[in-house]
Amino acid sequence: MLKKKKLPEATIPTSSMADIAFLLLIFFLVATVIDVDSGIGMTLPEFVEDVETVEVPKDRMAAILINETGDVLLDGEPISLFQITNTLKPRIQSKIDLPKNKKLIVSIKTDRKTVYNAYIQALDQVKSAFFEVRDEYSNSRFGKKFNDLEDTEQNEVKDAVPIIISIAEPEKVNK
Amino acid sequence: MKFEKKRASTKQEIPTASMPDIIFMLLLFFMVTTTLREVEVLVNYSLPEAKAIEKIENKRLISYIWVGKDGRVQINDSLVKLDEIQNIMYAKRQALPNVIVSLRVDKNSDMGFVTDIQQELRKAYCLRINYSANVKI
Repeated sequence: MLKKKKLPEATIPTSSMADIAFLLLIFFLVATVIDVDSGIGMTLPEFVEDVETVEVPKDRMAAILINETGDVLLDGEPISLFQITNTLKPRIQSKIDLPKNKKLIVSIKTDRKTVYNAYIQALDQVKSAFFEVRDEYSNSRFGKKFNDLEDTEQNEVKDAVPIIISIAEPEKVNK
Repeated sequence: MKFEKKRASTKQEIPTASMPDIIFMLLLFFMVTTTLREVEVLVNYSLPEAKAIEKIENKRLISYIWVGKDGRVQINDSLVKLDEIQNIMYAKRQALPNVIVSLRVDKNSDMGFVTDIQQELRKAYCLRINYSANVKI
């Protein structure tokens, strides 16, 4: 007589399933990036009706002009967009030891017809000049990069190398 | 006299087979109820690229202004005119005093237009702005 063999109990161990689900959940929680906003931060000046003009000594100012074709003038001399960082760096560095009211001011002025991208590129160059100087300064003082410093140290560097960028209003062109 | 603990004769096991189901239920519940506040962007724009960019840590403070290729301006979920910006942004600033305005401007826009928006923001006292840009590689 053929006798059917008794089948062994066929079960999948399910107790660890929860852990697997948890692992999956945690993996996706960690790996998901909800897109972070990044950009170039600026602070606008307050709006005042009558603008008082203050004379600033010439060696304190770096005036950047961008025209509608994207040509750049730095203090009256034509310059390529990508040279701005390297040209500004020594000028910022030379003013590190000066008091607060003598630091370099970078003024960016555009035409009304200037392309926004050109303006952002110029602003980017100026910002990276300031950031590089900050990094080098904190490296020589604290032996660390600016972003790795403690808050108090960061403020010290910020006082030494403040980022002063002035956005000049485009002149109204009479048509 | 020997003390012996009385033990229940029933099985002392928690059934764990349904545990994954419970966790999946939880996961699904949170997935369904979470809303990533996503505004439908009505304008077409492409951001400029930059290297020296900072991340904004506090997402709660950000309010966006979009400027499209065709020069249309969007705040919140609707398109607005240039002279409406001041009132909208002033109301926003009153609700959230240290609001950061993120300008998502198309890279081929005219600077004159961007400056007009900035002037409106200055009138509304929204002074912290951020030019949104992608990371240049």
